[in-house]
Amino acid sequence: MSKKNIVFVLNDYNGHGGAQRVAAILANEFSNDGHHVAVLSINEQKNQPSYFAEHIPVFVLHKDGYRAPVPKSLYSNLKALKIRTVARELNRRRQLSKRRKDVIRFFERYGDETVYVIVVQVWGMQWLTPLLYKPNIKIIGQSHESYEASKNSQRYKRILRYYRQVSKFLLLTEKDAEKFKKDGFTNTGVMYNPTAFRVYNDPRKLYANKTVVSMGRLVDGKGFDVLIKAFARVSHEIPEWKLDIYGDGPEKESLQTLIDVLNMKNVIHLKGTTSKPQEVLSSSSFFVLASEAEGLPMSLIEAQSCGLPCISTDCAPGIREIINEYEDGLIAPVGDVDVLARHIRRLAKNEQLFYSYSQNAYRHSEKFEQKHIRDQWYKLFEELEER
Amino acid sequence: MHPGNVRKTPELSVIVIAYNNELYIEEALESLDEQTFDDMEVVVVNDASTDRTGEIIDQFVSTRPKFRAIHLSRNSGGCSVPRNTGIANSSGRYIMFLDGDDWYAKDACELMVNAIKRTGSDFVSGQVVRTNTYEIWYHKNIYSVERTNINIREFPELIFDSLSVNKIYKRSFLEKHNLRFPEGIHYEDIVFTGKAYFLAESISIIPKPIYYWRVVEKAAVKSITNRRSEIHNFKHRLTAHRLLDQFLIDNGDSIYLLYKNNKFLRHDLKLYVNDYHKFDEEYKSQFHEYIREYLHERINKYEFAKLAEDSRIMYYLLYIDDREAFQDYLSYVQGKPTKEDRLRFNGDYYYFWSAKSPESDQKFLKINDPKITYAIQDISLAGDMFRIKATAVMHSAARGEYSYCWRLKHKQTGTIIDPQSVDNDVFVFDLTDVELGNYLLVLFVNHMGISHERKVRASEISGFPNIQTRNHKRTISTHISPKNFVGLKLEPTKKWDKIKWMVRRRALKTRSKQPSRFFSQKAVELIRAGIRKLPIRSNWVLFESHMGKQYSDNPKYIYEELLKTDKHLKFIWSFENPDAAHVPGPAIKVKRGSLKHYYYMTRAKYWVDNQGMAHLAPKRKGQIYLQTWHGTPLKKMGIDQNDISHGKGLTRLKYQVSAWDYFITSNRYSTEIFKKAFLYKGTILETGYPRNDILVKKPSEVCEKVRKHFNISPGKRVVLFAPTFRDWNDYSYYKTFRDIQLLSRQVDDNTIILLRLHYLLAAKASGIKLPENVMDASLYPDIQELCLITDILITDYSSVMFDFAVLRRPIVLYCYDLEEYLYRRGTYFDIIEHAPGPVCRTIEEVASMIQTPESLAKYHEALNSFAQTFGSLEDGHASERVIEKVFE
Repeated sequence: MSKKNIVFVLNDYNGHGGAQRVAAILANEFSNDGHHVAVLSINEQKNQPSYFAEHIPVFVLHKDGYRAPVPKSLYSNLKALKIRTVARELNRRRQLSKRRKDVIRFFERYGDETVYVIVVQVWGMQWLTPLLYKPNIKIIGQSHESYEASKNSQRYKRILRYYRQVSKFLLLTEKDAEKFKKDGFTNTGVMYNPTAFRVYNDPRKLYANKTVVSMGRLVDGKGFDVLIKAFARVSHEIPEWKLDIYGDGPEKESLQTLIDVLNMKNVIHLKGTTSKPQEVLSSSSFFVLASEAEGLPMSLIEAQSCGLPCISTDCAPGIREIINEYEDGLIAPVGDVDVLARHIRRLAKNEQLFYSYSQNAYRHSEKFEQKHIRDQWYKLFEELEER
Repeated sequence: MHPGNVRKTPELSVIVIAYNNELYIEEALESLDEQTFDDMEVVVVNDASTDRTGEIIDQFVSTRPKFRAIHLSRNSGGCSVPRNTGIANSSGRYIMFLDGDDWYAKDACELMVNAIKRTGSDFVSGQVVRTNTYEIWYHKNIYSVERTNINIREFPELIFDSLSVNKIYKRSFLEKHNLRFPEGIHYEDIVFTGKAYFLAESISIIPKPIYYWRVVEKAAVKSITNRRSEIHNFKHRLTAHRLLDQFLIDNGDSIYLLYKNNKFLRHDLKLYVNDYHKFDEEYKSQFHEYIREYLHERINKYEFAKLAEDSRIMYYLLYIDDREAFQDYLSYVQGKPTKEDRLRFNGDYYYFWSAKSPESDQKFLKINDPKITYAIQDISLAGDMFRIKATAVMHSAARGEYSYCWRLKHKQTGTIIDPQSVDNDVFVFDLTDVELGNYLLVLFVNHMGISHERKVRASEISGFPNIQTRNHKRTISTHISPKNFVGLKLEPTKKWDKIKWMVRRRALKTRSKQPSRFFSQKAVELIRAGIRKLPIRSNWVLFESHMGKQYSDNPKYIYEELLKTDKHLKFIWSFENPDAAHVPGPAIKVKRGSLKHYYYMTRAKYWVDNQGMAHLAPKRKGQIYLQTWHGTPLKKMGIDQNDISHGKGLTRLKYQVSAWDYFITSNRYSTEIFKKAFLYKGTILETGYPRNDILVKKPSEVCEKVRKHFNISPGKRVVLFAPTFRDWNDYSYYKTFRDIQLLSRQVDDNTIILLRLHYLLAAKASGIKLPENVMDASLYPDIQELCLITDILITDYSSVMFDFAVLRRPIVLYCYDLEEYLYRRGTYFDIIEHAPGPVCRTIEEVASMIQTPESLAKYHEALNSFAQTFGSLEDGHASERVIEKVFE
């Protein structure tokens, strides 16, 4: 395969969210294969290290730290005499047109060569619209959340406005792609996020750990209280098992109180953050996710990639693209403590069932493996080249 | 037996049935084991499963005294036998059911027992949650509020929920009516639940989730409701429905069949029709037979009337058993070609034609929006030229009946850009110097004079390229709008131009919301008040004809006669579209309704028009209003007309009439009628019509001018077809078109037909492809001039016949809807008795009349007598007489 020009477009290249991590994994992979990778970042965080490899060039649009606000109407604010708003909006437009010129200049360096531009967040598209009409530039727009989540936010309108004409609009799951197709998009596609690691663990070793694990930010909506209650429900039937919760956040205190109230101090532990998720997973037995709403939960994918069976709430439309019910995991309705408890008990008490789920989990996680996903991207590049 | 083992009768029995549910049965049983309610027994009936279900059940019940297992030796093939077995082998006061692949909410039993005890109802229903969407079954209509002790006869919508598993029943209720699940059929719930509803005295509903219905998409082994592609399935469903129908009749509840049928049509039958394409030929044929039988037994075709359009049409076609039409309709809905052209228009609406449907049933086949699809193959944008290769199809319509065109429509102003050239489905648009803005690509389809517009969606065409061209003035880009519509964006290139453009766009936006006014409303009022103070100019004459639509009729001829005199008058003509009208002489043209028009009208001494314009400006003392009117009355007018005889219509009429100073009539007959119809007390000028002067004088220059305009060689015979306006039917011209087609085929090669639609419909004629020997004369300004070159006139109730009679040339009356016309509009005399020519009922009769001059000759006397009565005053000097009287 010939060497390709690839540019990632992000809001903040050195933030620490899932989007940056995934982009960095891909960028590093592509770069290792010899392609010319660059990063175009709209803004940057102050003094933060990034996930991207050192040698990948980064170009920051707003070096002066200017953050573009949400666009506002000039006419109605003028009529209402909101001078400051008007001034800010005029400045935003001025900045926008200047930066657009910068973007055009940035891409002129490539001449007539094909460039694949991966727009990780739709916010960046407003600076890239002139590129839509350059035949050598193939824009691939991504959305990292579920259809419903974007619909409930400003991003939906922006997607409708900017992603109609891009070469490909990538969603995280089949279900989301279908929903956008119904909205009239003809350029949808699906691309899973790659898992950062994949390692085979002997199911017997995993089972012997007798540990249920869960990871995530300790905030409202991640359902850790539901998980704690569910575990407490069945703990007496599985007394040798414990539950480890990794992560930090504002809910930490109230979750700890809940644990104490339920008398589960000895079996449920809030372990704080970890920098070695792979090790943590490999020393547990199975993973439980009790969130209310997710896009494509990376934590589940990573757990599967270590051979852990997964129990999850029906929190994402694509959940069944990760978990194959009754083969490598189980699903419960959102917020349903009873069903979650039943599932935990079932997996914990049935050793043979556990083994079969574990083998299946590892096998099914192949479709999220880095090399596999990287190949999917290459296939996509080839497809776009031919058009 | 140990005393400690004596079991008292439990409050509740839960009957679980299972067949090959090894993946799910344990969860189902666990959900029962963990119930918050204690006093219950669980009877698990295994319908001879072949997988591990039986094992799991046995293991589960072995350690739980409340649970019992029954294993049937032979699979019963349905749910009835297991459930009935469960009923027979349990003893609880109340009964609930659970299917082996679903589960209960944790407090389900507690809530249900509590409810049935509290209300004393015969049975109680709770909410069902479907596990794919987590939606509640029939939430909006039934399960959103608590309902206590109702009867289905008060709330028949209940019948839509035919599930038996989300309910708790009093055992005594089941025993009293010996209510059991009918064995040997599927869809037993339809019968069981249906009967339960009508046998119960009182029912209650609690809006709480009780039952989780597991929905597995793409399941390998489909449950009974999913395996629809088997004919037995369908037969069973009909059997179940027939059983329920019979029960309702026997139980004295036949009036509720309507609700039950509604459910059948909206829910049950729909499932099969959706899967129709999967059936093989044999199944299809049996399906049609069974459903036809059932529909005729039980359902009245008017029950289809309230359904959605596609259901209504499909079910009606099944009802009359027109299989080809049914299959064609399915194809139509999917955008596939149909075997026959079935999309027809009956004058009122579109419908889907079926050979077996009587005309009176067309309303069941009505289609609101004809299906139009399109395909765009090539799109290119280069320089100023936008090119597309595109085709469109109006599904199931005869190809010769419609034509289509692609246009660009400005999003804000609505301006349309027509293609510069059209060749072989390639449409080329020239965008040089067009207005800037966003344009949408719109498809216009013209079918028999009816126009359909469709905006192009990006999702319906395969790929819309991103192309941009720019020159120093402006940039053109292809664009897909957020709402998925396809079009072009024209923007200025230079920065300063961009700003100017932004301002202008904002102005357009605000202006498009209000009508454009140079002055504000208040300013206009002030100016008008000022004008009213100005003195009247005694040499100003304001003319208008047909509300500004034409330069024609009596006002035209009066004007042209005035030009010949040496009176020093200033002439003003009012038009709707002054630029399009050609007026000879020194007259000023003004736009009707504008300030300029108001100015002239308020100050002119003389007003001359043929309809009534007193509402456009207040008439002042000293102004003289000459009302020339526009025809001898055949159809009822004024207060004799149905909708003007009272109320607002009458007030308006009186207002107009009171302004008239002079009224022109063309004969004694008219004078009498007008006086009465308009309650007119002013001066009548019984002079003959100025417009008919030309028919007496017959100036050859005019004849030549008209012939040249239509390119008619001198030897040809000209037939003028001038139907009148039918104000109750907007689409009467559709019939006119069909008639014209027929007529054009019947006449000889030497004849040319001029088609003149009533001026209110004139715009519709453009765009239709007319046969070679037919010419559209609808927009020709003056019909009198057309009469000059006409050899035979065909009309119906139009007053042109009175004028034409002056020429003493044959007139044929084509009155295909005489009764209707008489009913709606009414006439002043019996047209048949006094007709100036033959009165034909069909277009074929008309054609034969035209082709056989001998038959026409027979009516010569009638024509003469007609002309005498109505045109005796016409001597070519009417205009002179009028001018003499009015303009000193």
